[in-house]
Amino acid sequence: MRLSIFRFDPDRDERPYMQDFEIELAPTDRMLLDVILRIRTLDDSLAVRKSCREGVCGSDAMNINGRNGLACVTPVAGLAEPVVLRPLPGFPVIRDLVVDMTRFFAQYDSIKPYLQNDEPPTGKERLQSPRDRARLDGLYECILCACCTSQCPSYWWNPEKFVGPAGLLQACRFIVDSRDRATAQRLDDLDDAYRLFRCRTIMNCTEVCPKGLAPSRAIEAIRSAMTRRPR
Amino acid sequence: MPGNTVSSSRDRRPVFLNLAQIALPVGALASIAHRVAGVLLAIGIPLGVYALDLSLQGPQGFARMAAALEGLPSRAAVVVMAWALAHHLLAGVRHLLMDIDVGSRLPEARRSAWMVNAAGLAVALLAAVTAW
Repeated sequence: MRLSIFRFDPDRDERPYMQDFEIELAPTDRMLLDVILRIRTLDDSLAVRKSCREGVCGSDAMNINGRNGLACVTPVAGLAEPVVLRPLPGFPVIRDLVVDMTRFFAQYDSIKPYLQNDEPPTGKERLQSPRDRARLDGLYECILCACCTSQCPSYWWNPEKFVGPAGLLQACRFIVDSRDRATAQRLDDLDDAYRLFRCRTIMNCTEVCPKGLAPSRAIEAIRSAMTRRPR
Repeated sequence: MPGNTVSSSRDRRPVFLNLAQIALPVGALASIAHRVAGVLLAIGIPLGVYALDLSLQGPQGFARMAAALEGLPSRAAVVVMAWALAHHLLAGVRHLLMDIDVGSRLPEARRSAWMVNAAGLAVALLAAVTAW
């Protein structure tokens, strides 16, 4: 398999360059990450994040032939060659395929991604009906890999001001949670030309989500909750 | 000085954002075209209104406008404006429908983006046939 990989070492390189690799596929090379890890046995200077290697931790998000995805759940079969690997678009590159996610997580932090409920604890769990619990489906599964946010043109141009699809999907997850009591404050916080409404419904986020989630639908749900609430 | 190296390498962090190397799904193409069409309309509509006004100022004015629209560049401009108007209108209606939850799931959104892109081009083609 032929690959072309983005390389940049801040201590050595003035500017990034693409390096070609050619590697014989082994029968065990099912996913792209398998191939990348074998390339690392040939060239251990190649920097890449990975952990669970099964699409749960979200570490190995990268741009694969132009589309963001997780290397660990991207089957080798069907990839057009040379497989072009680049870091997540719009994120500052620390080294090779490793990007700085500080701004991404600052946006995530800004939506207060935790349950807010000041009512006295009941002494046991705060219960939900199966129906209320079902409203979290399609939202709670997000692993914060940043594939969606990094493929979003609105985020490229306004990473400081636009929350981005991942943060907004997480915001929706708490807005629709029947146990959360901060819905009004959450909607107030997002009712902003940039934080929420910079989304132009391009839907690149939903196109690339490796978990099959639909951040664009979550954004739509937040907008709809805003119009339905009493003023 | 190692301290300086760290801060300077942090400042030099490159960002990969080459739009020619990033896949643009059909929805993204419809969106970029929507924006381009909007800019063209903002420029073109005042010019069009001026041209209409001139053409309505008696037979002489009409003849002047008809003569001005004879050449290849002005005909091409009319075709481009017809595309911009059609694409912008249809893409706008597509977004309005999505706002009331019509066609906002990915498969339908892809289909409607294709339809908007194709319909805009079809109108441009029609305008080209009419203009020549």
